[in-house]
Amino acid sequence: MSDTKDATLTPEVRRLQQGMDEVWGNPKGLRALTVVNHTTVGLRFMVTGAVFFLIGGLLAMLIRTQLAFPDNDFMSPEIYNQVFTMHGTVMMFLFAIPILEGLAIYMIPKMIGARDLVCPRLTAFGYYCYLFGGIILFSSLLLEMAPASGWFMYTPLSSGEYSPGPGSDFWLLGITFVEISALSAGVELVVSILRTRTQGMALHKMPLFAWYILAMAVMIVVGFPPLILGSILLELERAAGMPFFEVAGGGDPVLWAHLFWLFGHPEVYIIFLPGAGIVSTLIPVFAGRPIVGYGWVVAAIIIMGFVSFGLWVHHMFTLGIPQLALAFFSAASMLVAIPTAIQIFAWLSTLWLGRPRMTLPMLWIIGFLIIFVLGGLTGVMLALVPFNWQVHDTHFVVAHMHYVLVGGMLFPLMAGLYYWLPQVSGRMPSERLGKWSFWLIFIGFNVTFLVMHWTGLLGMRRRVFTYDTAMGWDIYNLISSVGGFMMSAGVALLILDIALHFRFGRKAPQNPWGADTLEWAMPKPPTAYNFVSLPTVETRHPLWEKPDLSRTIYEGRHGLAHIDHGRRETWGSDALTGKLRETIHLPSNSWWPLFAALAIAAVCISLLVRVYWVGAVATLVAVVLLLRWSWENGAHPGKAPEASMAPSDPPLHYHTMNGPGVWCMSVSHLANGSLYLSLLFGWFYLWTVAPEWQMPDSSPLSMPMLVMGGAALTLGTFWLAKLVRRLRRGNDAGLGGGMYLAGGLGVLQSVLLMAVIWQAQLAPTETAHDATLLVALLYVLIHALLGATLCLLQGLRVGYGYVSAKVPMEPVVVLRFWYFHLVVYWSLFLAIWVLPTVLGGAS
Amino acid sequence: MPLLGLLSGCAGEMSILDPAGPSASAQFWVWWAMFGFSMVVALVLFALWLYTFRRREQPKRTPREEQRIMLRWVIGGGILLPLASIVALLVLAAPTGRSMIPLPLPEGEAELIEVVGHQWWWEIRYPGENGEPDVVTANRLVMPAGEPVDFRLVSADVIHAFWIPRLGGKRDMVPGRHSVLRLEADVPGVFGAQCAEYCGAQHTNMLLHVEAMEREDYEAWLAERRAPRELQQGADEAQEAFGEHCAACHTVEGFPQELINDDMAHDIPGPDLTDIGSRPTLGAGVLPMEEGAIAYWLEHHQTLKPGNRMPPHNHIDTETLQDIGAWLETMEP
Repeated sequence: MSDTKDATLTPEVRRLQQGMDEVWGNPKGLRALTVVNHTTVGLRFMVTGAVFFLIGGLLAMLIRTQLAFPDNDFMSPEIYNQVFTMHGTVMMFLFAIPILEGLAIYMIPKMIGARDLVCPRLTAFGYYCYLFGGIILFSSLLLEMAPASGWFMYTPLSSGEYSPGPGSDFWLLGITFVEISALSAGVELVVSILRTRTQGMALHKMPLFAWYILAMAVMIVVGFPPLILGSILLELERAAGMPFFEVAGGGDPVLWAHLFWLFGHPEVYIIFLPGAGIVSTLIPVFAGRPIVGYGWVVAAIIIMGFVSFGLWVHHMFTLGIPQLALAFFSAASMLVAIPTAIQIFAWLSTLWLGRPRMTLPMLWIIGFLIIFVLGGLTGVMLALVPFNWQVHDTHFVVAHMHYVLVGGMLFPLMAGLYYWLPQVSGRMPSERLGKWSFWLIFIGFNVTFLVMHWTGLLGMRRRVFTYDTAMGWDIYNLISSVGGFMMSAGVALLILDIALHFRFGRKAPQNPWGADTLEWAMPKPPTAYNFVSLPTVETRHPLWEKPDLSRTIYEGRHGLAHIDHGRRETWGSDALTGKLRETIHLPSNSWWPLFAALAIAAVCISLLVRVYWVGAVATLVAVVLLLRWSWENGAHPGKAPEASMAPSDPPLHYHTMNGPGVWCMSVSHLANGSLYLSLLFGWFYLWTVAPEWQMPDSSPLSMPMLVMGGAALTLGTFWLAKLVRRLRRGNDAGLGGGMYLAGGLGVLQSVLLMAVIWQAQLAPTETAHDATLLVALLYVLIHALLGATLCLLQGLRVGYGYVSAKVPMEPVVVLRFWYFHLVVYWSLFLAIWVLPTVLGGAS
Repeated sequence: MPLLGLLSGCAGEMSILDPAGPSASAQFWVWWAMFGFSMVVALVLFALWLYTFRRREQPKRTPREEQRIMLRWVIGGGILLPLASIVALLVLAAPTGRSMIPLPLPEGEAELIEVVGHQWWWEIRYPGENGEPDVVTANRLVMPAGEPVDFRLVSADVIHAFWIPRLGGKRDMVPGRHSVLRLEADVPGVFGAQCAEYCGAQHTNMLLHVEAMEREDYEAWLAERRAPRELQQGADEAQEAFGEHCAACHTVEGFPQELINDDMAHDIPGPDLTDIGSRPTLGAGVLPMEEGAIAYWLEHHQTLKPGNRMPPHNHIDTETLQDIGAWLETMEP
């Protein structure tokens, strides 16, 4: 199993390793569905992503077959439109994001010296959401009712009037489901990177890959909610007739474009950043020296993350945006070239100052550089508004985005695949077959897409199912098609190469590439717990400075080398300095993630077939399952055998008040806050921009009841804060009763909100004003109900002894939730009652 | 390699590289300038990158020297190079877009033509002045050459985009609002135009035939269509059939109101057919207009352009369709 010499191990060490295997090992058979381990789930993510890549690639080949010749009738227009819509959707949502998440899920704990991610059950839940969402979405293609409005689903084309079939619903529901998966991975990656690095790994000593993934994860958390909101609104419009995007009802189709690209542009960087992270990991290894300009690269990553949220309008330059905004977004779109160029020149100087070795992974990195730089250059061209007006929505743009995405993501991913393959399988990949597949893919790609720039300049639009021979595009399209098939042959060869290597690859040495990071300091293939003992890391390059680290880790000579307690443990450390703060007790395998995801799948399917009562029941079941899952926390015996047992050093996390759960709640609020801000954006956007927005003369909402509800919420929040303050001082007298009281105030608030909604007599199918108001009120109502439920459950848990002064973390988490709700409630009150009343409905 | 072809060697009627107006010409030169500059940057970068693998000897360097080399690369290549390029681009190239913005002209006003995007055809309206009637036509745009023309763009259903590649950039047609795009054709000529924003099943076949003509020809063309007209006599059967099956959606100026069958009133308007006989294509670019083409289209339109909004005519016999077709072919000003 491992190439470390087992013969020299003492019996104690062997016993330790056996114990670890028992506590951490994966069950077999049906119970394999309960596995939560990040190595296993990460691999599942990646394999599923690879399958969707092949499906997406097959769709691409159908497109290239159709366009190979003029006036081709290989596919009907109807099918062609479904095929190109699904090609984009599958590649973006079911391949690129999930496979990178899978890589991060697999790799991050190993690189930062942890045994697992911080919420293992959430990892498994995310995977099932992705799998089920992907299957639901893909099934639409087999049923020949796939979405056909293009992958950005512009309204009103995607709305009920112009796309009456279920295609759009498949897209909206399936993608939202998959996005739950992305969000859960995003949240736990952020918290894992910040809070579970091994002892001594300060933020500035973290491998660059972890910085890239941190940026990606934060961007997922902030960037996905606008699309989730957009999808919910569009589905409400389609299913319930609420006119958010319909001009006649006071909506605006451009709102959809804003919400989509508010997500869609950051998404490009969400895909690129991990790719760049792979490049930044491999270049130093193969140059045989540390990266040059670590600080510059980190700064570039952070700037990129921020700037990428200010570029979305450059997808909408032709949509009639005001001149000033055009100028701003044009300049911002060009400026993003700077952080990109900083990274490219940091890589170049690393190679310049090192002694680069040409290996198979390095070949892919060179392919990345060439393709990505060309894509970046056309990107700057496209940011120039007048030129954009010419080439927008032509094959020039199709070529550009494939250069950026395939160059920025697929090529680094392949480099990473060959680089980490020995880490996963313990065997080396072949050189020859690998090179063949590289050259086929590299040449095939350029033949396909370099020519496509030209086709676009000759005026060929994207998304056309055929063209006239008089246009003079025949030969270029044929060349593109030939290139496409060449690339497919390369992919086939690559799969063959990988498959063969599992059997014929020679055994890999412990650190085959001479790497510096911790993922190479464990047995190959890795054990479920990664490290028998957790090392202290004081440098950016632990394996270069201590080459025998793999061995001493394996022999249990570092931290947390106990397993008699039967707990899965890893270290919790300070976000900034990496000083140890607590021992995190991780939950073990569980059925709840699968059950919860199945319930959500049932919600999804019942909404698709429009059997709403089943949907309501399934939603209820899903909520109950999720709450049941959260029940096994704190000092619950299923979660924590002997929770009150001997104090450990550092203390177990649920004895502290700032454990990972609190962090996860905070990061989730980042996502929730982004959703809320998108909703506010929608409200103000429609109010100020929608051509036929109607604002009533006076607000239909009852001010006294709104204020009373707010008072109950405010009182409850302060009361909870007081309970937590007392808990902090070790006083849990009256905690249970106090929690019931807070829960009661939450119930009161919910009842008042329901009364507000009831009394307002809104007509959400008539005007976008009422529809938006209703959604906003429902949003706070859900929070009020959830806040109340959490408090009531806390009261129960205090009774069971799962929560107490010794196990004080959960009330802190609940309090954070109430704080968030408090801010949302009053700011919303300002936005939907005070402002309209002050400014008047005079419009 | 196609890039080695002549700068404007390809004369497809949709080619950006074959400009026929000032806006398109500006973008033509902007493109080639950007292309040349980008090629230099890319090739130098690739050469440097590959060169690092070729070197054998490496001088020993102190950390301070390494730091200096790194700063030179990162600041020079990572900050100054892109910054300078961006400034140059914004200063030199961004103003080229102004000619497409409807700013006030030094004298007079630009000719205004309204274009309405429909799934999947174009409605063109020439607003009348001083009580003149609007001229309405479809799928054929006639414009004056040698002077700026403002296109007022609106949509009747989903988002479309109006694009005459050889004259200049495109602009989206968004339901509920309008935007104005200014274009100019240098000399009289015929250009292709197309819908550039994906708009559903037949987005591909949403083409527009554009003709730029001298000012006086243009005015004559308009005057012809503004002149009061009388329907051709002696085609009563065709007219009755047209009134029965077509007139609820398709306007023909001067068509007797009493013949229109109101029962089949349809939400979606079809193209105005008043001057259909003079149009160069049918179905927004699907068929060339020839003798018998309209009848052929009426019979086979759902095969020629599957999914188009005109209902199939299976319930109407071929002879009637031929009658209607023959009659419509006479519809010229």
